[in-house]
Amino acid sequence: MPVKVAFMQLSSCWGCHQSLVNAHLGLLQVLPALDIVYWPAVVDFKHDSLVARQDGEIVVGFIEGMIRTKQDLENTKLIRQKSQMIIAFGTCACYGSVPGMANQWTINEVQSRKFMEVESATTRRIPDQHVPGFEDKVVNVDDVIDVDIFISGCPPKTEAIVGAVVTLLSRTAQPMSDTAFCNDCTIRSDCLLNKGVVCYGPITSNGCSLKCTSKGDPCVGCMGPSKNVANEAQKLLEISRGLSGASQGDKKNLFEFLALFFNLPLMAGFDLRIDPLRQLKKKGRLLTPLPDLPSTTAEIAQNAASFLANNPDFLEISNVCQTCPRIRGNGTMTKVKRDYEGIPNLTDCLIEQGYLCAGPVTKAGCGGLCIRVNAPCTGCYGQTEWVTDQGARYYEAIKQSFNVDLSKEDFLAQVKDPIGTFNKFTLASNRGFNRGEL
Amino acid sequence: MVKEIEVEPVTRLEGHGGLRIVIGDDGKVQDAQFNITSTRFFEKFCEGRYCEHVPRITPRICGICPIPHHLTPTKAVEDAWGVSIPAPAYKLRQLLINAKQYSSHLLHFYALAAPDFLVGPFGDPALRNVVYVINKMPDVGAMALKMMDYGQNLCAAVGGKSVHPISAIVGGMKKPLDEDVRQKFLKGLEEQIEFTKKTVDIGLKVVTDYWDVVANVGVVPTYYVGMTNNGVHDIYEGDIRIVSPDGQKFDYKPRNYLEALGEHIPDHSYATHMYYKPAGYPDGIYRANCLAMINCADKMATPLADEALKAMRAKLGTDCIHHTFAYHWARLIETVEAIEIIAKYLNDSDICNPDCKTLDVQPREAEGVGVTEAPRGLLLYHIWSDAEGICKKLNLLVATNHNIAGIEKSLMHVAKQVVEDKALEGLKLPDPWIK
Repeated sequence: MPVKVAFMQLSSCWGCHQSLVNAHLGLLQVLPALDIVYWPAVVDFKHDSLVARQDGEIVVGFIEGMIRTKQDLENTKLIRQKSQMIIAFGTCACYGSVPGMANQWTINEVQSRKFMEVESATTRRIPDQHVPGFEDKVVNVDDVIDVDIFISGCPPKTEAIVGAVVTLLSRTAQPMSDTAFCNDCTIRSDCLLNKGVVCYGPITSNGCSLKCTSKGDPCVGCMGPSKNVANEAQKLLEISRGLSGASQGDKKNLFEFLALFFNLPLMAGFDLRIDPLRQLKKKGRLLTPLPDLPSTTAEIAQNAASFLANNPDFLEISNVCQTCPRIRGNGTMTKVKRDYEGIPNLTDCLIEQGYLCAGPVTKAGCGGLCIRVNAPCTGCYGQTEWVTDQGARYYEAIKQSFNVDLSKEDFLAQVKDPIGTFNKFTLASNRGFNRGEL
Repeated sequence: MVKEIEVEPVTRLEGHGGLRIVIGDDGKVQDAQFNITSTRFFEKFCEGRYCEHVPRITPRICGICPIPHHLTPTKAVEDAWGVSIPAPAYKLRQLLINAKQYSSHLLHFYALAAPDFLVGPFGDPALRNVVYVINKMPDVGAMALKMMDYGQNLCAAVGGKSVHPISAIVGGMKKPLDEDVRQKFLKGLEEQIEFTKKTVDIGLKVVTDYWDVVANVGVVPTYYVGMTNNGVHDIYEGDIRIVSPDGQKFDYKPRNYLEALGEHIPDHSYATHMYYKPAGYPDGIYRANCLAMINCADKMATPLADEALKAMRAKLGTDCIHHTFAYHWARLIETVEAIEIIAKYLNDSDICNPDCKTLDVQPREAEGVGVTEAPRGLLLYHIWSDAEGICKKLNLLVATNHNIAGIEKSLMHVAKQVVEDKALEGLKLPDPWIK
């Protein structure tokens, strides 16, 4: 049976759809599995048909775009109501993207420029008939509704989107098994938990191929929670209370565990990996609830989530620099260069050649596309860490890991456009700014 | 009873809008509105940005045509700062914008427009879409996808990313094309040219099949806006050209655009109504996009496309073509030109020349204008730079925007034809290809 999906388009550029369509021949495999019930860009179903659908009837609702108009706000709520799962699809839906920079001004100032002051206008008025009206600020989608999955990127990489769709399609409903993985485990007598390795077998449904433990690797929880936990759960619970001592590999698995356990598809190795973390960072909790977990399981999951929420090591695994082929150590930033100045070489780190590259503070997932054509990263996958003063944070990040011979004051003074440099894609999701704290 | 027909949202459209048609007691169409229901105010939030960064922001105006939105502000800043670019950069930009033209026109033809013709204009709305076309005509579908794929991959190779490119910089291009990449695209070229010819055949069959529609529905005289390079069709460089409904041509330097192009701000659409200022509003309402470009051009830039243009003019007239459904034909002529230009520059090894960025770039307090032809119409950026090269102000005349008033005018025309003259009843329609 094809899966019912819908694409809600808020104010946007359509680029996320183009990126999806860029799969081209890859679409041929995916399309027959989808029952597209709403996608204004591509199919002819009208708004009324979406309103007429039952609540929760749509399995996956994609939201593309940001909330700029009052109609966007209504449509956001509508698609949430009709869908079991919501994917914020692209940086607009995740963080507001570049139009969020309009939040520096009042809506009156913004409207004025376009409708009252513009040089080519020969009449001047704010349109108000059969148009929806604007929100005062660009509003972040997850300020209004709960979002289950974030796929960021401007646009998200084609592979990431197709990966998400394929994963969601192949994801069959997994009812909780009565018994846990340990029940089937072939190395139970040589239990990994006894060696301090974080293995989620005791709280995970059994029924898999035992691929991980048969190779000596821990269970990462991909079958989801079990109704009853195995005796070994107590050992896991204890380890989960002191996760700071866990190995780097176990820490990486923590995240994988949460993503898989809570049915968040892992894609392209990166995009969704950090999203549970973002939920934790921004909301202090995971937004994808699972009902009726055994109490031990709930506590273990909570410990893992809390650990990730406060773990700076985890952040460092996944910024754009991690995927950048350029070499560090051959130069030093002594002044901030503008992009038009000179020609950077193609092999050395752009920061150490003096350019403002947002790689160190930007979520990985793009594979360094801009950097490969000699263009510094400007942060379109969103920030790795959510702080109010992104400028100071950026300076600290580059000072710590790169050759930079500039004081913080000198550096910041040389950046003439801090908003466009440090908050280009994320201003609408920067709470501090929107509360007027910046 | 006054009757209102609302279409919300208009589908298979890039952007956000609805239609409203009001029919009076007497059965006459009183009003036809095209309501564009969103705008994001790029002209405001680009204020305060580095001028050279504006081209890294504005592609987000349109994810389908981000390449013109990358190149045009770059040209505007170069105009303001008095920068000229090396020849390899010019060639790379021509290649880039034509790769976009190619994939975008094919996306439009196959994904947005073709379902109407292949499934039939009165086909089941649930099936009248590209997904169904691909399922039912897998050969045509696969060919269409391979063509779009080629164009988009070429955009990515030259532009760094196909959606929201990054490779142009004030002064040139950040990186030339690698030789092995050039060779790879050269290898696929022949097949693409064959595919283009097949697509033209499909298009011409559609035109023939639907001749009654093409010749009689939505034949709306308007002005047209486009650009030419001394009369020759060119989408990267040239002057603004206006064509009057009776075929007179008027050229304007980009910097003089305010003499020609006015924005009437309607009360019912966030997209403004563009018109030809000397003719006034609404008389000067014009249309843009491929048919406008065809009406502007004295000739096409390449031989096959020029032949195709001559064939179209032989059928629809040489002065000025007003047939709204001829847009599809015009689009195919432009597609032919795009693949021919792609071939020309791929065969030029200068696109691999690392000398593609000048070092002679200095900000100055000045204003500049850049113009290109995006797949949906003329695209104009007017930027004001301060002495440090910060954008003080920006005015945008965006491609789709040039068509809004024209679309509304065509809508009124067609609404009257359909509602008052019952034009659909006598219309000869072919059997749909897909039944």
